[in-house]
Amino acid sequence: MMSEMNSTSEHELVERCREGDEQAFRELVERYKGLVFALVARSISDPARAEDMSQEVFLRVHRGLPYFRGESRLSTWIYRVAVNLLMAEPRPAPTEPLDGTGEGRPREFGAADRSFEELTLRDRMEKAIRRLPVNYRVLIHGHYMKGLRYEELAEALDLPMGTVKTHLHRAKRQLRHLLETEFR
Amino acid sequence: MTCHQLDELIEAIAEGERPPADGEAHMATCPRCTASLAVARALDRTLQARDVPAPPPGFTARVMQRVGQERWRTEQIVDIGFNIAITLGVGLIIIGGLALAYSFGWLTVDRPTIEALGAAVQPWLSRLADDLRTVVLAALLLTSALALWWWVEGESSL
Repeated sequence: MMSEMNSTSEHELVERCREGDEQAFRELVERYKGLVFALVARSISDPARAEDMSQEVFLRVHRGLPYFRGESRLSTWIYRVAVNLLMAEPRPAPTEPLDGTGEGRPREFGAADRSFEELTLRDRMEKAIRRLPVNYRVLIHGHYMKGLRYEELAEALDLPMGTVKTHLHRAKRQLRHLLETEFR
Repeated sequence: MTCHQLDELIEAIAEGERPPADGEAHMATCPRCTASLAVARALDRTLQARDVPAPPPGFTARVMQRVGQERWRTEQIVDIGFNIAITLGVGLIIIGGLALAYSFGWLTVDRPTIEALGAAVQPWLSRLADDLRTVVLAALLLTSALALWWWVEGESSL
């Protein structure tokens, strides 16, 4: 019932955007900026670049809305736009060591009250994630992001669900190996 | 089961899947695989507990600004195209009007002027006639390329 209501309002929103309603597009950005920014900011460590890229996602969405056929959910389609953009981004050279001695500290988002141990693991994990191939990175970010179901991830990446699961396990295994070998 | 074989299953086990019986037996006696499972579980917990980065204040306004700029640029291109088309149209109408007026005898042009004009245009016309096939082919190719570019632009923006 709720998802039916969502899809109806989603359809209306898309139609209004297509008609050139600026307010509708503003509403669309408001609704999906969290999803887009979370994925992009987790994949790109430079906050300014992450914002620029998130804005670029919405520009592409704006350009692409006339071609959106509504076969998938709007959030899935927007996610796919973001993934395509991230895939095209050149992979940074792995210069940061995983032992936390690198000068470039990853951006922390509201982690004031966490224990040192947790922070250390998280810090190293974030660095290790950045060493993964981009397709594994977006898979991990997408899977652990709130509000994106497993099926949607498969749909957004245009992969069968079984393949998504296999790739996700491979991504996590690679991440674990990185932590086991370089983080001791 | 070997460590290598179990390593392939660690992530699934960390997510809650039951290991096969021989895997369970291996795990019970292998400190390395037990440690790997602990790392996998810690990773899973840490990944789940990560905070979701929030967009900075004013994000929507900046997106709308860029959308506005892009729309303005598109409108400018359309405007330029429209102006060129109008200019060409008006030029053609004027030339057509003059030719019509000349053919009805409302406009008289003295012979030396016609001969001078003919002499100026003749080489271009004969050259165009010689290369007519190439010109038509080039125009067709250009049109196809533009159509293809327009289609790809639409698809790639997704």
